[in-house]
Amino acid sequence: MGFLSNTTVTLDAILTTKGRELLARGDGSFRITQFALSDDEVDYSMYNPTHPSGSGFYGEAIENMPVLEAFPDQTQVMKYKLVTLPRGTARMPVLDLGYSQLTLKQGAAFSIRPQTLNYLSQAQAYETNGYTFTISDVRLFNSFNGIGVDTPEVTALNSTTTIGTAVSKTVIGTSLSSIITTINTLFGTNSTLTATLQVVGRDSGARASIPVTIKKI
Amino acid sequence: MSYKKLDSEDFLVSIDSVTSTVWSDEAPTLTTFFTSSTTSTNDPYYKNVYKTASTGSVQFAIAYGDKKGSGSANYNDLVPGASPTRTVYGQFRNLVYGDEELDFNFGGTTSEFFWALSIERARYKEKLLPGTLNIKISGSLGKVFELTDNSVDTPTATFLECGRVYQLISGSNGTSYDGGTGYSAESGSYGLFLPDISTIILNPLALSGSVPFSRTDDSAGENIEKMFNAISGSNAASFAINSQETLSSDYVFIRARNSEFNYSENPSFISGSTGDVLFPSQINSPQTFVTSVGLYNDVNELLAICKLSKPLTKDFTKETLLRVKLDF
Repeated sequence: MGFLSNTTVTLDAILTTKGRELLARGDGSFRITQFALSDDEVDYSMYNPTHPSGSGFYGEAIENMPVLEAFPDQTQVMKYKLVTLPRGTARMPVLDLGYSQLTLKQGAAFSIRPQTLNYLSQAQAYETNGYTFTISDVRLFNSFNGIGVDTPEVTALNSTTTIGTAVSKTVIGTSLSSIITTINTLFGTNSTLTATLQVVGRDSGARASIPVTIKKI
Repeated sequence: MSYKKLDSEDFLVSIDSVTSTVWSDEAPTLTTFFTSSTTSTNDPYYKNVYKTASTGSVQFAIAYGDKKGSGSANYNDLVPGASPTRTVYGQFRNLVYGDEELDFNFGGTTSEFFWALSIERARYKEKLLPGTLNIKISGSLGKVFELTDNSVDTPTATFLECGRVYQLISGSNGTSYDGGTGYSAESGSYGLFLPDISTIILNPLALSGSVPFSRTDDSAGENIEKMFNAISGSNAASFAINSQETLSSDYVFIRARNSEFNYSENPSFISGSTGDVLFPSQINSPQTFVTSVGLYNDVNELLAICKLSKPLTKDFTKETLLRVKLDF
């Protein structure tokens, strides 16, 4: 990791881990079709709308910030996307998962159907293209399924399986349906295991994360 | 709302050539030459040449080939002519011509023996760069001969099984000294420059007449040592060559219109869990600061990422055009 020179505006493009994986497959799944912009690292509390030099200097503290080089881990970049909304938007879309945290016992089933607040001029709405659900350690689940979006690409993504290693898993759907693992050996001497569930609206870009705690029985 | 589809005209594929030095420490010219004192079973076939006395990284190897097997001891005296030099001859003939009936042809003169300089694979990127070869060969009378390839004088290369072929001539930087072909008086060119297999073949007949510097049929296998001494001699000791690599790059043009990407899902952009924009001035005149561009597939999987060197301001009065370069 290092700081990029900020003397000129340059782009430093790298493949993400997911990009390398799809490129290596050679099955055409590495196909760039869209882009997004993000403002990762920017702290808007540094934005100063009372700057004595005027509006041209409101963003002075942010504009001169050196930016870190890109990380190849796709879960650690493009976190906070820029979105296109009508001028005059006073409230940004935010996700309502119905939970601020989850504490579940082994073998328990649960489902989440997120809603997006302040979206498409509605107080709350379900996003047409669904939501991306990412769990930080897939071993904690017997099943982790996205439901409700049936395009071929999403079906292929949702059917991807792992081989029992401590990796994250991402599924897409309008809702998430899961069953907690019944395997005791994962706990070792611990009575609980923890993971993080991250949900991102595929249309709005709104995101939310909640901690998931699994209790051994 | 946060993703924007790319059009076909947003993509551009470009192929660029990148050149670099060959030798260790990025030195353009190799001026010190050493061989290992350790005896190897490969010695009858080739000798590795190093830049430092402590050996370390191999720079190139010298081999000698003879169609009749002269210049090295036979594998078995019951089979005369079957020796390492004959093996080397057949090996390079197969590599260069792919035809066991042909002899090496140096600008119209055929030869049944040659020296080969093979650049160590770790030293170059993809192939050697024509027009950058400059090597000095010293002879028995202290005379130094400077050789180069004829790629500047004759830019249209001949093609054999090994790819492009240029003739070695008396000159520098791809041009002959005499303004003519740069060949020897009676024995054709001084060798072949084969950039696609990173090999230089030297013609002993031309060198013996011009340098002068001769090979031997002695079975003691002295020819490799002779060439090493000719290259590393204090009067010579100068071997310059660059390499080149073809890089295929995908360019993606990112176009953000004035009405796009002016609000942010950054937690610091909003206040509390209700999603209220933090600063009232950001409601009608929002300003965002682009730090990253993500390239996605149809299912929103992030395939590539690039960062700007400093945040780029975006608002309703600005449009942004960024060029993202992807190297594979």
